[in-house]
Amino acid sequence: MSSLDREAVIEASNPLGIEGIEFIEYTTPRPQALGQVLESIGFRPIARHRSREVMLYRQGGMNIVVNAHGVSPAADGETPQIAAIALRVRDAGSAQARVVEQGGWPVPVKVQPMELHIPGVHGAGASRIYFIDRWREFSIYDVDFIPVPTVDPVVPAVAGLHWFGVVQYVGADRSADWCAFYGSLFGFVEVPADKRFGILPRGSILASPCGTFYLQLIEPDSLVVDDTGERLQRVAFGAPDVPAAVKALRARGIDFVETDTLHTEVRGALTRPQLGGVMFELVHHHE
Amino acid sequence: MTAEYIADFGMDTISLAGPLAAKLRAIKEAGFSQVMFAARDLVGHPDGWHAAVEEVKASGLRVTGFQVLRDFEGLSGHLHDYKVDIARSMIEMCAALRSPILLACSSTSRHATDDEALIARDLRKLAMMALPHGIKVAYEGLSWGRHINDCVGAWRVVERADAPNLGIGVDSFHSFATRTPTEALQDVDPEKIYLVQLADFMWQEIRTVEERIETARHFRVFPGEGVHSEELRRLVIELDALGYRGDYSFEVFNDDYTQMPLPVVAERARRSAAWLAEDVLHRAVPLPGGSRLRSAPRP
Repeated sequence: MSSLDREAVIEASNPLGIEGIEFIEYTTPRPQALGQVLESIGFRPIARHRSREVMLYRQGGMNIVVNAHGVSPAADGETPQIAAIALRVRDAGSAQARVVEQGGWPVPVKVQPMELHIPGVHGAGASRIYFIDRWREFSIYDVDFIPVPTVDPVVPAVAGLHWFGVVQYVGADRSADWCAFYGSLFGFVEVPADKRFGILPRGSILASPCGTFYLQLIEPDSLVVDDTGERLQRVAFGAPDVPAAVKALRARGIDFVETDTLHTEVRGALTRPQLGGVMFELVHHHE
Repeated sequence: MTAEYIADFGMDTISLAGPLAAKLRAIKEAGFSQVMFAARDLVGHPDGWHAAVEEVKASGLRVTGFQVLRDFEGLSGHLHDYKVDIARSMIEMCAALRSPILLACSSTSRHATDDEALIARDLRKLAMMALPHGIKVAYEGLSWGRHINDCVGAWRVVERADAPNLGIGVDSFHSFATRTPTEALQDVDPEKIYLVQLADFMWQEIRTVEERIETARHFRVFPGEGVHSEELRRLVIELDALGYRGDYSFEVFNDDYTQMPLPVVAERARRSAAWLAEDVLHRAVPLPGGSRLRSAPRP
């Protein structure tokens, strides 16, 4: 097999050229409250959007965008929601075109003059999946954001935290549907049932085609009535040493769930919900 | 008053005249708990389609499904793009209605390809479009479809498309018109039959395609009222034996019925449901808790 053949194989399994997560976006009517939570888990606010009430937080290689633009407690609730996953891809425009060609719904464009048009498609519930290709040579944040003065944009990660993945709540009997959605539109691959991560292993797990992060699909417990619909429920951070990360985060004021059935282990940990439902999972994982 | 033992049978709004609210009332009062909607029930509402959705929700009736996306598959270029727009619009209404099923019928377009690989590709795309909304797509072979014209062909391309939320819809009228043998369903995964529409008609044979269309659109009657009762009986028993546990909807287009008082038509439908439940499926006594009902998966 020549080297070109080998690249063709890679092309087929990663049709969009996905290379990890560029940012996760939260929407909330209380951006400062969420900002405090993010800061206690190690993020720092490093830039502000030019035209909207949007802040950029960073920790290590992770970016979180907190969007309060046009979000109201009455219409959207008080609890921050994971509104988008932005994927690093080879070519953002052609990635969107390919996904739409396969059945994705394009997100309508709403940009101000001189702002970047970030193409995207609709995901679970009200969430979106954005495509970003300008992350090597320069940063999208240089265009749409103004740096917060005196803050170093390079923020060391607490205890080596990095993106591990996102947990999506799906409807009853809906895992096969969403596996097909992420599989045929984005090239995600379901991992075998005997390969599980962290302390909350239920559901289906999909590996990104680049192999750097995961999506976990969780159906409702048949005993619990959950009518809040399908949504991105929490993000998970990889940590090379979970107990050390838990210790470091506790020192920063973060509480973890510690019950008989669910508690901090070498495999993982779960923070106690804040602001009505924001929680983070830690998973033993090396970047 | 809802009769539990006919809980998996429903009426279709197309059988009734009048405004949506009157149709919903008549269907409910006849003892039905579910109803199949057509897009024009929504878009034809004087206060707009969102108001129609609210009316349906307030009625307490379960939504069987939403019809009908026509001529979607097999097109190319701007014709395909146009149909994608139409499909998105249908899916949005279907989702707002919390309908679990969108009915799509096989293409009659002379511009559509007969290449089944392309037909399957388009159906998979349609399924992916419906998927985030929690909607299953039931693909039905119209008896006058240009390339796919029975449930055998429909199942062949649905299997090929291989999407978890894509299955077939079976319409007894089309099966009888094309004389598709009941046994043809034995090759179909019963979990992939998303909807069964039942109707009869008043004559034994349909000779031409034109007569088929004419009959389908104007002269259908409720099961048990026409001359194919025996075939209908066999079809329902076959489906039941296969393991089909979805809904049966009465797809009765009839010009006379749309000139009759709504409760009279709804009563005919109820008699038809009672015939199927009691005489065909031998549910002599109402089943406790409507045990034939499966809860439809919802996001």
